Amino acid sequence: MSTPLKLWTRASACVLLGLASGAGTASSQDAGEGGEGGGEAGGSVPSQYRLLLDEAVDPHYDGAAVAAAYADDVQVAYEQSHAAAVSLQRAVEALLANPSDATLAAARVAWIAARQPYLVTESFRFYDGPIDAPHTGPEGRINAWPLNEAVIDYVEGDANAGLVNAFDVPLTRASVIARDQVSDEADVTTGWHAIEFLLWGQDRAADGAGARPVSDFIAGNAATDRRREYLRLLTVLLADDLHHLARQWDPAQPDSYAAQFLALEPHEAVGRALTGAALLASHELASERLAVALDSGAQEDEQSCFSDSTWQDFAWGLAGIKRVYYGRSNTDASPASAIRSLQPKLALEMERRFAEAERRVAKLNDPFDRILVSPSDSEMRANAEATVIALQQLAAGLRDVGRALGVLVIVPGA
Amino acid sequence: MKRTFFRMALLAYGGTLAAATSQFAVAPGGALTRVTDNRHSFALPAPGLSPKQLRDFNFGNRLFNTNWLVAPASVEAFDGLGPTFNRVSCSGCHLRDGRGRPPIEGEKEMLSMLMRLSLPGVGAHGGPLPHPAYGDQLNDRAVPGIAPEGRVEIDYEEIHGRYDDGIAYSLRKPTYRIVDSAYGDLDETLVSPRTAPQVVGMGLLEAVAESDIVAREDAHDCDGDGISGRANRVWNPVSGRVELGRFGWKANAASLLQQSAAAANGDIGLTSRWFPRQNCPDLQPDCGSVPHGGQPELSEDYLRKLEFYLRTLAVPARRKDARAAHGQRVFEQLRCGACHVPHLVAATDTTLSLLVSQDFAPFTDLLLHDLGPGLADGRPDFAALGSEWRTAPLWGLGLVPTVNGHSFYLHDGRARSLEEAVLWHGGEAEMQQRAFRALEAAEREALLAFLATL
Repeated sequence: MSTPLKLWTRASACVLLGLASGAGTASSQDAGEGGEGGGEAGGSVPSQYRLLLDEAVDPHYDGAAVAAAYADDVQVAYEQSHAAAVSLQRAVEALLANPSDATLAAARVAWIAARQPYLVTESFRFYDGPIDAPHTGPEGRINAWPLNEAVIDYVEGDANAGLVNAFDVPLTRASVIARDQVSDEADVTTGWHAIEFLLWGQDRAADGAGARPVSDFIAGNAATDRRREYLRLLTVLLADDLHHLARQWDPAQPDSYAAQFLALEPHEAVGRALTGAALLASHELASERLAVALDSGAQEDEQSCFSDSTWQDFAWGLAGIKRVYYGRSNTDASPASAIRSLQPKLALEMERRFAEAERRVAKLNDPFDRILVSPSDSEMRANAEATVIALQQLAAGLRDVGRALGVLVIVPGA
Repeated sequence: MKRTFFRMALLAYGGTLAAATSQFAVAPGGALTRVTDNRHSFALPAPGLSPKQLRDFNFGNRLFNTNWLVAPASVEAFDGLGPTFNRVSCSGCHLRDGRGRPPIEGEKEMLSMLMRLSLPGVGAHGGPLPHPAYGDQLNDRAVPGIAPEGRVEIDYEEIHGRYDDGIAYSLRKPTYRIVDSAYGDLDETLVSPRTAPQVVGMGLLEAVAESDIVAREDAHDCDGDGISGRANRVWNPVSGRVELGRFGWKANAASLLQQSAAAANGDIGLTSRWFPRQNCPDLQPDCGSVPHGGQPELSEDYLRKLEFYLRTLAVPARRKDARAAHGQRVFEQLRCGACHVPHLVAATDTTLSLLVSQDFAPFTDLLLHDLGPGLADGRPDFAALGSEWRTAPLWGLGLVPTVNGHSFYLHDGRARSLEEAVLWHGGEAEMQQRAFRALEAAEREALLAFLATL
């Protein structure tokens, strides 16, 4: 490509915000948004994704069809995630109605199952879409980690810790949200990992997950009653947030993001789609969840440590990246289908990179925390390092795909 | 340099405007600038980091967010908190790499600010003289079995004033009381409250050539513009020398490594190569007897990664506001830039190639200025007198509400808005403050709108 890379000069889609009103007041942080490292890459997202190309080199493909298929799939993915969160809610209700080892185990199974379709949607972050829109996106409320367990419930060494035991704080949706990540990013009170901690408890075992006893959920004392109500509230809040996201991606809703997205210049829309997938691979998966954990060796850096289900965080996250690139089905318009006709060699290279990333992720040790305590020359650590590279290579590939499709995908470090 | 600027302003307003406008066109962080306007705007890596650098940055970020644990803990690399401390992590005070604030109604603790202490006199290496029982800052928390040193209560008094056009304003003047003091009385003790500043762009400030900073000194106001300005000279335990002070509200730290290691020791209670002793004053005998988290608790490798992280945080780009151009003209008319120098340049020989020769726009001269009795803390800090403060950089001011959910400014967060921060200026900036009060309301608002775009 001989044309220098320049940003398209169209008006920015970014919302410019002035000073927050209410000078001198310290509001509790507006609900949601950010939380985990996500926004840290999100801020690098340019407001325009279209490359300024000459007519002569502007790649010809049906960008509008790619964007439409993407938007449709995002809606489907959030609906699937919402449905799974409702199943989790039902399983928690069953646990609370009749606390037993069996209903607790079933609720845990439901949590692990409900994570999977959510992880697929993580590719829809990093371009200020509904999930992480400035000021309104619920990402931080849904998926923040790592978290201070002691903000939520009792921990080893402090039997009276957390909101569960803060008897003077009313347990309502508003009070829980108001206490989320106010004075410390790790003071998380909501979302997947707060629910995970309530279901499993701390993971103190060398092998195996946390082992919270079912007695923690038997009604009749002040703390268990509050724990029950807290858990119930969090599962309802999670399902509601996912419902909101599915509606935001429903073009039939008049104020939906989907309607705006479909009205974008198609390159802009394709740029957003590819940016989300690329940053999930390079920033979130390769760096935040893998390289940092390898460098620290601390179990705290394991994302789903209470349930010991971190392996699936990688596997299903990668599945989401793949779905953005290939589309939900082979017949849909997708970046992959466009690349196959425009640049067959790059299409083959992407096949190779996806295969390598999948091979490496499949080999990541499960449970993940064994990798962190393994010696520096262990095979499982070497494979984890290779996974970092494979995910970075995948992100660099998605950047190249963007260039071939006339859109700018910025991947820090690539 | 200032003189030239002044004369130009007298000679040709248009010419000054053109020259100055180009200064104002500099991206805040040069090549380290990022377009961003959200809660994470102070937490982004600079563009252009290599994969290896980005990995170090991300690990530095992890360290910055690490909640240090009481030793002995199962996570050995991250234990060693205390014995006394203020917060358990860097981000505890610098939330999302942003700015701290005083307690708000209903809060009893200082969550993101602290109180420096000393006795009258001069300590080792020319610094403040630590209190024998409390050291040089009040640690309001402690590990189990050790008493926290005390805590601070603040009373505010409203001071009412009026602009020249008759519009009223009100400033709140704080007074500080140390209560629950656990290690004896604090009579005669000098105190200085300090909020945590946001930490973007620190690598650039570190990279400015000393000669460029010193060139702006005018300790005896020889040019007669009412503004003096002199550099602080501080002891740097890392180099073992007295050096130009650049960081902190009184420019009492010479380098990021020194500042980080000092804060880790003083605020979190971590020992390091440069601060090998626990933060235990002589008159706290129990303090030294609790288990430590290794020697040192913060490894040199980790400290260097923190330093790298702080050097490579991106600086947020300015946001647009229709009133900003007007406000910039007011900023120039009032000559705010005499101290809040818009534009600095990183040296050619700085060790991180990303920073070399960057033009950037921090709006500071890194010098000490007398800001008058209203803001004075009466506590000397190396060369800084009790009424002197380092010119605070203005970059990122307007993003504080977005990132940290508040708009408290100045060293102790007494200003509840940018407007109040301007009104508190006295001493060398008394003229500017009076000129601000004499402006028409629309001009005042334009200036504040301009500041909020920084």
